[in-house]
Amino acid sequence: MTNVQIAVHTNAATPEPASAAKLTTRNLNFYYDDFLALKDINMVVPEKRVTALIGPSGCGKSTLLRIFNKIYAIYPKQRAEGEIILDGQNLLDPRYPINRLRSKVGMVFQKPVPFPMSIYDNVAYGISHYEQLKRPAMDERVEGALRQAALWDEVKDKLKQNALGLSGGQQQRLCIARAVALKPDVILFDEPTSALDPIATGKIEQLIAELKRQFTILIVTHNMQQAARCSDYTAFMYLGEMVEHGSTQQIFTKPSKQQTEDYITGRFG
Amino acid sequence: MDVIVSERLYRRRRLTNGLALVLSGIAAIVGLFFLGWILFTTLDRGIDGLSLAMFTEMTPPPGAPMGVGGLLNAIVGSIVMCVMAVLMAAPIGIAAGTYLAEYANYSKTGAVIRFINDILLSAPSIVLGLFVFVVLIGMPRQIGNALQDTTAGQAGGWLEGMANWLIDISGFSGFAGAVALGFIVLPVVVRTTDEMLRLVPIQMREAALSLGIPQWKVISKVLYRAALSGILTGVMLGLARISGETAPLLFTAFNNSFWNIDLGAPMANLPVTIYQFAMSPFENWQSLAWAGAFLITCFVLLVSVLARTLLLRKKMSHD
Repeated sequence: MTNVQIAVHTNAATPEPASAAKLTTRNLNFYYDDFLALKDINMVVPEKRVTALIGPSGCGKSTLLRIFNKIYAIYPKQRAEGEIILDGQNLLDPRYPINRLRSKVGMVFQKPVPFPMSIYDNVAYGISHYEQLKRPAMDERVEGALRQAALWDEVKDKLKQNALGLSGGQQQRLCIARAVALKPDVILFDEPTSALDPIATGKIEQLIAELKRQFTILIVTHNMQQAARCSDYTAFMYLGEMVEHGSTQQIFTKPSKQQTEDYITGRFG
Repeated sequence: MDVIVSERLYRRRRLTNGLALVLSGIAAIVGLFFLGWILFTTLDRGIDGLSLAMFTEMTPPPGAPMGVGGLLNAIVGSIVMCVMAVLMAAPIGIAAGTYLAEYANYSKTGAVIRFINDILLSAPSIVLGLFVFVVLIGMPRQIGNALQDTTAGQAGGWLEGMANWLIDISGFSGFAGAVALGFIVLPVVVRTTDEMLRLVPIQMREAALSLGIPQWKVISKVLYRAALSGILTGVMLGLARISGETAPLLFTAFNNSFWNIDLGAPMANLPVTIYQFAMSPFENWQSLAWAGAFLITCFVLLVSVLARTLLLRKKMSHD
């Protein structure tokens, strides 16, 4: 408990001013086959802020995150209903080109999954799909992305080495570099530190604080201290419903719903 | 009291464990013993025929004195047909395996194709040989003969040309042999490609697709790279499998006592030569048959070890 309070205090020291909506969901339902996993989600994700999704296992927070770049669509029998507005367009509209969406909404997963190629190629792979760059320009982009992911200094002398040789924390930052390299608007983090040790976790959290200057960030986390430390807004979900959504400070200090209070004080979940 | 009971239980468990260890050890030794025996016999009997001449001289005529002749035409014929079989079957097999793992993984069609492929995998090779015989040798001849009958009396037409061509190609040929061997390689490659691709973690697909890269590019640039050593292993196991196959070649490539690399004519090959020489009354032929058997055994061993090393390297690079 004390941890949470301390964390909230540090976060409260730098309150972020309100910003425009980047993503808006309207009456969003999600089905796994016949099972209704998300019920009527209405939420606003503010631009260039960090929004955390918290809640007990199975509450649907990862499911919600995975709708924003339609990664669920690679599996049969999963479907979303309703609207998600990104820059004025409904991305759930079947006419919305899925690969353009994914270039605008990047994703970092729970387990770091570098591609089986060199560190350099891991970052360049995505870029080269969208842009024909000459070698020096590509070098610059790769370096920029690795710097943004706070990985450059550790890998600048071994860019040609296989990415599988990096440590878990470095691999995860490489995956962040890979996402950042495409210059997306939004980055989705699906429990990005749950496979990492506390030091690597700290680095990723620092990184998220840096990245929000440029990107809109959504993060799913099991760790409430993490949500309190690095998010500006927090949404609490339970059994497929959005129970409460507000500024992180408000959610962690004076939640308006009893369920939220029970969860953040550790009485259940 | 409690302690005594658990002591008794513990002793019984140790006894069972010891018994299982001894039995499985015996089973392993029995298996290895026969494998060693086979290797030793082929080496022991083949050593007389093993010489440089084996790789430089053609198969000798019947009754030639001991030490005359080699297996060159058979070795080259086998290499030509095996390589052709792999070159034909591997691309089709990899494509089909990719379809199963990446496009039809969750569908009923995929399950049905997988099942049928497994049947092909265990189909007797003599059946595949007969099938290729019917399709590439029997049918062209029948159609050619029928065409010749209908065009009788009006020579020079394109129909007659076609009839002659069909009859011309309908004979035992190295090409038919390679196709028959290819049918054995195909299901092996389909199966391993399918399995190796499905072993690639699903998160790698999600990560690559979440960059907005189309599926075909994800498969060809990321997933193939991750599954490469496994897929290559499948191709090599297919090669090892066909290098000793005799039955599918009997009705297709047949055999040839002379040097031939024309794919349209009967082609010499090691397995059928071994079969023929081993059954003969000539001592020279028999010893060459043993040498050929030793050669094939060594080749299969080598390819299997290479395939193993590939897989092992893959495992280490993943951990």
